[in-house]
Amino acid sequence: MNGLKNISINKKNNILLKGLAGAAVLFLFIFVLNFFNAQIKNSFYFLSYPVQKVFFAAGETASGYLKPVFNVGNLAKENENLKRENEKLLFQISLLQAIEKGNRALIDMSLQSQNRDFTTVMAEIYGLDGKDALSINKGSADGILEGMPVINQQGVLFGKTFEVYKNFSKVVLISNKNSVISVKVQQSAADLSALEIDGVVKGNGGLEVYLDLVPVDEQINEGDVLVTSVLEGVFPKDLLVGKITKKEKNDQKPFQQAHVEPFFSLDNTNNLFVITNYKR
Amino acid sequence: MWFKYLIIILLLYFFALLQNSFFAHFNLFGAVPNLVFVFFFLLVFFEKPDKNLRVIFYAIIAGLFLDVFSCAYLGASIILLIIIGFLIKKIQSLLKEKKDKHPFVYFLSLFLILLVIYDLLMPHLDMSFGIYFFGRMIYSLLFATAGFHVCKKIVKKDNVI
Repeated sequence: MNGLKNISINKKNNILLKGLAGAAVLFLFIFVLNFFNAQIKNSFYFLSYPVQKVFFAAGETASGYLKPVFNVGNLAKENENLKRENEKLLFQISLLQAIEKGNRALIDMSLQSQNRDFTTVMAEIYGLDGKDALSINKGSADGILEGMPVINQQGVLFGKTFEVYKNFSKVVLISNKNSVISVKVQQSAADLSALEIDGVVKGNGGLEVYLDLVPVDEQINEGDVLVTSVLEGVFPKDLLVGKITKKEKNDQKPFQQAHVEPFFSLDNTNNLFVITNYKR
Repeated sequence: MWFKYLIIILLLYFFALLQNSFFAHFNLFGAVPNLVFVFFFLLVFFEKPDKNLRVIFYAIIAGLFLDVFSCAYLGASIILLIIIGFLIKKIQSLLKEKKDKHPFVYFLSLFLILLVIYDLLMPHLDMSFGIYFFGRMIYSLLFATAGFHVCKKIVKKDNVI
């Protein structure tokens, strides 16, 4: 009887020992993996990039074919073109408004910095890595560091780099829940005498953003355009962020919020520009 | 036999690439389906009950691909998937059905619960219930449902995947 009991205990001990040994090997394996985290990830991206690029392009083509089916006719493409054109015009308007406010010298500097002095690195998008983060095909070997602003050719802010590997980087979009950026509200009405209103745009996840921390006594309107401000020092000023679609004002709260339609879009966007020399 | 494992590795890699690139253009509220998790879940769900080593193998490969293509530390998904894999087998052994070894209702509820657990425990950039979270759940659930019916047909033929 005692012999049977001993065998049973030994068997249990063996299982426990095997389990512990397995767990130890696993943790060692994970430790080694993380020791070479950057190299492993970079190698994977490097190997996968050609295939991912093909899949990304295939997805774009497929969505291009499918969207008109759902949106009746060719509305999707037409809408995209109009959106781009609108972005360009809004960008020009935002600059013109500032000029009208008598800040010509400052704006000239801004224009210079935006049009000439910025050194940008063009990067190709090849993946959306969940949680509002993009993958681009440029990394530290191209001069990219963490925290650099990422825009498109129309001056629309996408976000900033946050994980940089040798040949690849991840860009955290402004819609990420951890993203908070200082903005100023450009009034859509031709009220050029109005003072600029400051606020912050916070990421809401799911490619959505909202405007917050606008004093309740300030007048904001639907259609007002939001551009980056220099207060935060992370992004250059006057980059396009989004447009107010619905405001939420409650007199009992010190600040008002607003729904914002971000200008950045992944549809038909293949290339982005990383500003590599913006001085904070 | 090794050929089967090679195919599983290639399929997991293929799904990882697909969810990170192709589905970027088909996102639902910014979310893409977690195809790697779906495939891992199907593999474990339809695996024989006593094949613990296989569960660990699936978890390591699937977890590695999930971590490589995400912002997480390498190994976070591996550990979570091993735990989830053994949870699936344990729950399945407790919920034995004589008529149907793999009932759809078990599959669906188990899948949803464990995907929620996985998503909430993963050290992502943010972890909260939001439209993105529900988009990801619904999207993954759709693929899991389709995958379940495909696997069930294969299992009927071969008894196991």
